[in-house]
Amino acid sequence: MTGGIDFHTHPVLVREMIARYPELERAARETYRVGNNFQPLRVMLLEMDLAGIERAVVLPIDARTSRQATVYSNEQIRELCNMSERLIGFASVDPRGPDAPHDLTHAVKALGLRGLKLAPAMQEFFPNDRKAYPVYERATELRVPVLFHAGMSWEPGSRLKYGHPMHFEDVAADFPKLPIVLAHLAWPWVVDAVALALKYPNVYLDTSALAFDNPTDFLRYAMTQQVPLTVFERSLRRQLVFGSNYPRIEIRAVAKAVRSLGFSEECLELIFRINAETLLGERP
Amino acid sequence: MIIKLERIEVTSTRELQMIDITPEVERVVGESGVRQGMVFAMTAHTTSSLLVTEGIECLERDVPAHLERLAPKQPPEGSYGYYHNRYLDFDGRLGFNAGDHLKSILGGIGCFFPIENGKVVRGRRQTVYFVEYDGPLARTVFVQVIGQA
Repeated sequence: MTGGIDFHTHPVLVREMIARYPELERAARETYRVGNNFQPLRVMLLEMDLAGIERAVVLPIDARTSRQATVYSNEQIRELCNMSERLIGFASVDPRGPDAPHDLTHAVKALGLRGLKLAPAMQEFFPNDRKAYPVYERATELRVPVLFHAGMSWEPGSRLKYGHPMHFEDVAADFPKLPIVLAHLAWPWVVDAVALALKYPNVYLDTSALAFDNPTDFLRYAMTQQVPLTVFERSLRRQLVFGSNYPRIEIRAVAKAVRSLGFSEECLELIFRINAETLLGERP
Repeated sequence: MIIKLERIEVTSTRELQMIDITPEVERVVGESGVRQGMVFAMTAHTTSSLLVTEGIECLERDVPAHLERLAPKQPPEGSYGYYHNRYLDFDGRLGFNAGDHLKSILGGIGCFFPIENGKVVRGRRQTVYFVEYDGPLARTVFVQVIGQA
């Protein structure tokens, strides 16, 4: 397998960016909260190499209204992506701000970012809040996917209620041409998330679910016991993308876990590469 | 009396890896101005070691492989588990590396050598290795030189 894509990484530990923007240290430690040492970008790329991952989506979070902070601005994501062609930049906008649709257009058209990241728990909005609909309309017009944080949330002060899959159903139904990715399998509500994906072909799930034990045991529980693996293999093979949630866990560990579950080689190719390429508009 | 502390960075490229840092330790000693004394080296991390052994490629495979057998990252199914395999709220990530902490304990975190006439005194086959158990990562090694000019 070649050319894999990690659809879910947060570049919060990249040392080169911390050196340029010292405020990103506070964003990493307090807003996002991760305690690991800052690392050169080269280490993230080495991590991808060991995991068999060619490219990675790097995600910002715009939480200016709820936290008075951004965990990377869209401009900083662009700057980071300029350091390596292996990085795919997504934008984030504050859905509670009046300029959100304009900000998204700027991020896509002027900065070349290729998707939208929203984190309802950190941004403190329900995804089916009609105030967010102009953002979804603009994302649909721009033909970029939306990756939503869903399920449990670790960030300080974030409330789990915003991440329940049922709050995403209106979005899936009202914007059928908008691909939306529910991150982390929306754990612990995996069954609900799977139900949404079964019903709505524009709903995707990413594999970055991890709350206890280790990646292999946890994903085996979520993807073979909470929901049988056959459901993913047979029914959702084109709606599942590999995501690691790096640096909360190593990319290689999650990749190894996904590959250990028992998927067919054809399905692994879809999960690790083809479905992500489809979401990114690189294939029909 | 001269006391100098230097932090050297070592970047591992694999999950388990032995990296020869002897030249770096000798460089720090050489630049310290110490003629008679001691040099101490210590990893700054708890999932890596500093080891002294013969500097040959076969041992660079055997040593980490043996430590991995003694303290596997993922124990054989049904044998035992690690309490450390849990989400660490204070760290914002999963503690999925108990085996690597254990390997660090088994391997030790530091070493020391005498200094004579400004040179590190070590056995002919002794090589100083930084040993990575949880790479790839950029790591820090403390090297402190103490002695007289």
